[in-house]
Amino acid sequence: MTHKTYLRLSELNAAIAGVLGDAFGRHSFWLVADITSHTYKPTRQYHSFELVEKDEHAQQIVAKMSCKAWGLASGRIQKFEEQTGQRFGNDIHVLIRVQVSFHNVYGLSLNLLDIDAHFTLGVLARQRMATLERLVAENAFIQKEGERFRTRNSELPLPHVIQKIALISSVTSAGAEDFKHTLQHNTQQYRFEIDDYFSAVQGEANANQLLSGLLQIFHAQKDYDAVVIIRGGGAQADLLIFDNYEFGRAVAKFPIPVITGIGHQKDETITDLMAHTATKTPTRAAEFIIAHNKTFEDSTNALLKQMLLQAQQLLTAYFQELSRQNNILVNSTHLILNSYKDGLRQRSMENGHHTRSLLFGHKSRLLQVMAPLPPIFKGLLHNQAQKLNQVSVEVRSLAEARLRHEDLQLRQHCMWVRMMDRDFLLKKGFSIVYSEGKPVREPEQLRTGSKIDILMANTVVKAVVTEKRDKNG
Amino acid sequence: MDEHLTYEAAYNELVAITQEIESEEVSIDTLAEKVKRASVLIAFCQAKLKRTEKEVNNIITQMGNDV
Repeated sequence: MTHKTYLRLSELNAAIAGVLGDAFGRHSFWLVADITSHTYKPTRQYHSFELVEKDEHAQQIVAKMSCKAWGLASGRIQKFEEQTGQRFGNDIHVLIRVQVSFHNVYGLSLNLLDIDAHFTLGVLARQRMATLERLVAENAFIQKEGERFRTRNSELPLPHVIQKIALISSVTSAGAEDFKHTLQHNTQQYRFEIDDYFSAVQGEANANQLLSGLLQIFHAQKDYDAVVIIRGGGAQADLLIFDNYEFGRAVAKFPIPVITGIGHQKDETITDLMAHTATKTPTRAAEFIIAHNKTFEDSTNALLKQMLLQAQQLLTAYFQELSRQNNILVNSTHLILNSYKDGLRQRSMENGHHTRSLLFGHKSRLLQVMAPLPPIFKGLLHNQAQKLNQVSVEVRSLAEARLRHEDLQLRQHCMWVRMMDRDFLLKKGFSIVYSEGKPVREPEQLRTGSKIDILMANTVVKAVVTEKRDKNG
Repeated sequence: MDEHLTYEAAYNELVAITQEIESEEVSIDTLAEKVKRASVLIAFCQAKLKRTEKEVNNIITQMGNDV
């Protein structure tokens, strides 16, 4: 064995490098491949990964090569991420420009020079389209209507007032702070209850976390008025988590209205399309909720005003109707009273007339009757005359009886007067005693020894009183 | 006044009396009685309306204060 029978590895590698250099030189190639085993060292901005090609069924790897990107290429990747919303990492299908490189130590690899964002955007768009089609095809509660999607969630009625909110956002989300700040400093002074459900909101691999956040809300069994999904603006990269099939499906099916405030400027995410209401930013989501509540308040105020107005109109109508009834009542009552009064006056006037004419009629009829009295009336008159005669006879006899009675009394009086006559009395045997020429009427007129004259019918006896004593003594 | 009289009932009775009187179906013997009853009903209705109006106005005033 001589010294020349072997090469040093470095010599071989140099030879390979030379051949490869000759063959590929400084040429670069656009190639399509998938990425796996990706690592990134931020401090050196160094991407290391493998490119693979799979067979038609994406089962078997048919080609594989390691690849690196650093420096300018790393900047390209960053720009790509911003343009596509796609994080550069495993399992993405990319169009890249590479250069073949052979390193004595690290061996054969490719250096990434550039990456085509448009290609990936196309791929993503197709993926998104495919996901949407699958959502519609596999779920009865998702239907496509023109450019919009009708889902069970989007068909849910929003409560008139949104106050209890389940908020899905990342722990460090500035978007969530914007959302809460806007809600809690509303000029209407509406109050909100917000429960946080934290989840990563980027990284397609974190879709499961997002999904479990939604499930937690479901199992919390609280009467949330709405679920709000917030992701702050800023970097546009990595929105793909919201294009996830499973999460999109869960949102579409969710029984509580979902409002999104996912910061982005490009196409709406699938989550936006499946949700009840999609807004562009967290702040907009909060403004939407406040506006929604205000609409309700305004409508109730308007209803209240309308109702009160109607109540007043109704009252006015009632007052008028009551006053109308009152007027009818008063007028009708007066009418009735007047008609009764008129009737009475009329009747009394008629009565007067009637009476007079009746009297006149009787009189004239009497005159008429008087002249040629029919026999029957003559008879009547005769009867009347007879009755009159009877009465006059009775009157006469009564009068005579009366006269007789009066006459008798008169005679008695006469008799009495006659009896009082002096001569009549003297003749009857009475005598009158005189003393000193005067008739004695009192015993005091006489004393013992008094001279008295006793007058008798035809004789005067002169005597002297010898004794005077009481008749009973 | 009847305690459980409603506006509706009072008003209906009032209208009935008014119609009766308007059509001059009321005899002079019962006229005064009917008119008296009607006046009571009107007073009742008016009081009720005024009370309601006052309440409505109060609500409006209160609303004005709240806003």
